[in-house]
Amino acid sequence: MAESLILIEHDRQQVKRTSLHAITLARQLGGEYGLLVLGHGLSGIAASLASYGASAVIVADDPALTEPLADRYAAVIAEVARKRGADTILGTSSTFSKDILPRVAALLDAPMLTDLVGIEKIEGSISYRRPINAGSMFAMVRLEGGRRVLTARATAFDAPLGDAAPCPITRFDFDPTSLPNGIQFISREERKSDRPDLTEARVVVSGGRPLKDKETFERVVGGLADALGGAIGATRAAVDAGMAPNDYQIGQTGKVVAPELYIALGISGAIQHLAGIKDSRIIVAINKDPDAPIFQVATYGLVGDLHQIVPKFVESIRQA
Amino acid sequence: MDFAWSNQQRELLDAVGRFAKQQLNYDVIDNDRDGIFNREAWKKCGDFGIQGLLVPTDYGGLGTDPLTTVAALERLGYACKDNGLLFSINAHMWTAIIPLIYNGSEEQKKKYLPGLSNGTLIGGNAMSEPNSGSDAFGLSTTAIKKGSKYILNGSKIFVTNGPIADLLVVFATLDKTRGPSAISAFLVEKDSPGINVARKLEKMGLRTSPMAEVFFENCEVPEENLLGKEGGGAFLFTRSMTWERGCILASAVGSMQRLLETCIRYANERKQGGQSIGKFQLVASKIVDMKLRVESSRHMLYHYGWLSGHRKGVYLESAMTKLHISDSWVKCCEDAIQIHGGYGYMTEYEVERELRDAIASKLYSGTSEIQRNIVASMLGL
Amino acid sequence: MKILVPFKSVPEPNDATVAGAAVSTPKSVINPFDEIAIEEALRIRERAEATEVVGATIGPPAIDEQIRSALAMGVDRAIRIDDSRILDPYAVARILRALVEREAPHVVIMGKQAVDDDSNQVGQMLAGLLSWPQATFASRIEFLNNKTRARCTRETDAGLEVVEVNLPAIITTDLRLNEPRYVSLPGLMKARRKPIDLLTCDELGVNVHPLTTVLSVGSPPKRAGGTRVESVEELIKKLKQEAKVL
Repeated sequence: MAESLILIEHDRQQVKRTSLHAITLARQLGGEYGLLVLGHGLSGIAASLASYGASAVIVADDPALTEPLADRYAAVIAEVARKRGADTILGTSSTFSKDILPRVAALLDAPMLTDLVGIEKIEGSISYRRPINAGSMFAMVRLEGGRRVLTARATAFDAPLGDAAPCPITRFDFDPTSLPNGIQFISREERKSDRPDLTEARVVVSGGRPLKDKETFERVVGGLADALGGAIGATRAAVDAGMAPNDYQIGQTGKVVAPELYIALGISGAIQHLAGIKDSRIIVAINKDPDAPIFQVATYGLVGDLHQIVPKFVESIRQA
Repeated sequence: MDFAWSNQQRELLDAVGRFAKQQLNYDVIDNDRDGIFNREAWKKCGDFGIQGLLVPTDYGGLGTDPLTTVAALERLGYACKDNGLLFSINAHMWTAIIPLIYNGSEEQKKKYLPGLSNGTLIGGNAMSEPNSGSDAFGLSTTAIKKGSKYILNGSKIFVTNGPIADLLVVFATLDKTRGPSAISAFLVEKDSPGINVARKLEKMGLRTSPMAEVFFENCEVPEENLLGKEGGGAFLFTRSMTWERGCILASAVGSMQRLLETCIRYANERKQGGQSIGKFQLVASKIVDMKLRVESSRHMLYHYGWLSGHRKGVYLESAMTKLHISDSWVKCCEDAIQIHGGYGYMTEYEVERELRDAIASKLYSGTSEIQRNIVASMLGL
Repeated sequence: MKILVPFKSVPEPNDATVAGAAVSTPKSVINPFDEIAIEEALRIRERAEATEVVGATIGPPAIDEQIRSALAMGVDRAIRIDDSRILDPYAVARILRALVEREAPHVVIMGKQAVDDDSNQVGQMLAGLLSWPQATFASRIEFLNNKTRARCTRETDAGLEVVEVNLPAIITTDLRLNEPRYVSLPGLMKARRKPIDLLTCDELGVNVHPLTTVLSVGSPPKRAGGTRVESVEELIKKLKQEAKVL
């Protein structure tokens, strides 16, 4: 069986842990897999990937790959896949993988499935399960053809154990001057935060439109998040209103999270938002409207004014 | 008899519904409480094409037939909760636009219809007076010709859109002793010398539709602003009132449909004594009656719309339509409050406002009593 | 500059706010992200940076209503590629490639994902097939250097990023790029006089079949509703003792 190739994401300092969850999917599919990282100055990152049971860690390291430009990355990934005879390319869903992997699929003449939440093997063929219609339905899908590209929803696959014997780290050689030049990186806003990453946090506190404005949002939602050591999320309405930046958005077209504890402040529970939180272990909803749909999925619901309730909540936690 | 909409009609109706749902439902509770007219919503309606539905394309309108027009207004009433806004739009269409279409000179049509069609000009009419309501033709406002002008003197009450109108169709008499045959209609622009739009009137409902008393103190109107002929006012009024009666409650049919759906939802969700209140026959029965009222109102409305495009005489049908829909609307609103119990009384739930808005429908465009008189006389009694 | 906007007809996103609730209206609409793309293309034309906006979609005659909506918004010309099959993103991308080669637009602007399928693939696949640059999840688009390049702000997991792409390129739109105009009645009237060009895959010289088969569609396991608490104290107690999460 040909090898799978897993695209691992990093932020130039360290591996993005959720991107490792695709390894669990690869293990379920069976067969060997290689871990691929692209970028520049990757020796530390490459070394940290050595114990995940891969046949190899493949490193494409060059100044031309400093920024994740889709045309360059896709070209290199496709070349790696061809040279190694990989017929399955995997990644974990993120804006990084969503930007690049479909382009890889086209270069390899392969179909692609995004956001897999599980697979089933029936009579020797594999069926893939993925959400559709903002997660209100799930489809079981089969693929044809000799190759495929798949992304896994991180919250649907456990973090893999990294306790295998170390595997070789190989450098992938390519001609950087042959890479496309159609996209130039200009800038990126860097926001430093002491809070945990939204997709990795154990606790997430989220706010909706009733949080009024940016200052109130940061004070109330941020205050509770900090008291619990959690991350901050937001609904689309809150981001549209300028209360929170786009990377806080949780939902059908934002991030999907599944923390131990998800606290929804002033969030009504639109289907597009629920799509991003349904696998949280415990959901707490605090809302003024007793008929808000979120109460139908919340483990615990408290009807009332969040502006009164949250300070009490924070106070109680601090005292404990 | 083909009861199906054409593809084109369906596209138009769907576009109206989508537009109204997304654009016309902001701040309705607050605006109702504070009596604020939503000028931005008015402008959006103008850009969208509502006010110009019936205006011929030569004058900037869409030239839509009456049946499609009333269906569009019904859809508007379904998707837009601001009954006051719709009332202002209706007053503008039936009391200013219709008279211009039928009785305006070419110059008058060219001058006013384009702006009235896209909402940049707001229209209304001034007919009722402190001493003449149902007896409309008993008005006392006078118009005397002096040189190239008419001089108007008198006072008008219940002028819908008065505070915001750019143009009013004002009814005055050239000679009180000659009765209705001396009544004439005039196009009076808002800053005409001698016009005084006085205090805004506070109403029970339709509070987002502004209304005022308007005084004419030697108000000067250029002779080219006489609408129709001298003495043609009563006929002009009767014709535009026939349109108004048939069409002004088209949006009410939509409001009733929305209320019906709200009540069904509530009756299914609200549980008392371990079951949905919709299972209680006394509640279900009210909802069934609401459904019957919506259906019969809708059928009368569509029939009127169709007749209006196919035959000249619809005087009887317009009175019946207005009478039946207004009675139905008020009754639906009463039932809706009853079904919602205490919540039906709370402004937050937006059910009580519907009743406050609906009650006026038995008063304007001729009271229900006047409509009954009309039907009785048309039946030969 | 000619802008091509591929769009998809999708079932109207459900108003129901609880997952799994029955869909009551089987109405179709233009995919919301594609509507944003159409709006952006129209704005670019309105500020005289483009001369023509062409809409294109793949489907059976039933979707002509959505095509007329696009024309009513202001699209100059529309193309329907007649195909009643259920196509997967890769098949769509291959058909669109043939269309792009025929229409030769300067830029393709399209929604980042369809809200029924949620795949978020077609734009990127199309770019790969054409070997064109791509800028995905754009929340802002500007043209530079006499419209030979586009500068795009992108919404990513880490926040906002700015890239520039050489034209011709594929740009996919994200939510906050703009708020689309509503179809006006005058627009609908004008749309009735605008042409809808009909094409077949044969005429495009493309013969694709989807490589994805949907075996079944089902509802997710319903998340059990929980309990109401009456106070902060009770909430914290339950989180500590019952849920053991604090």
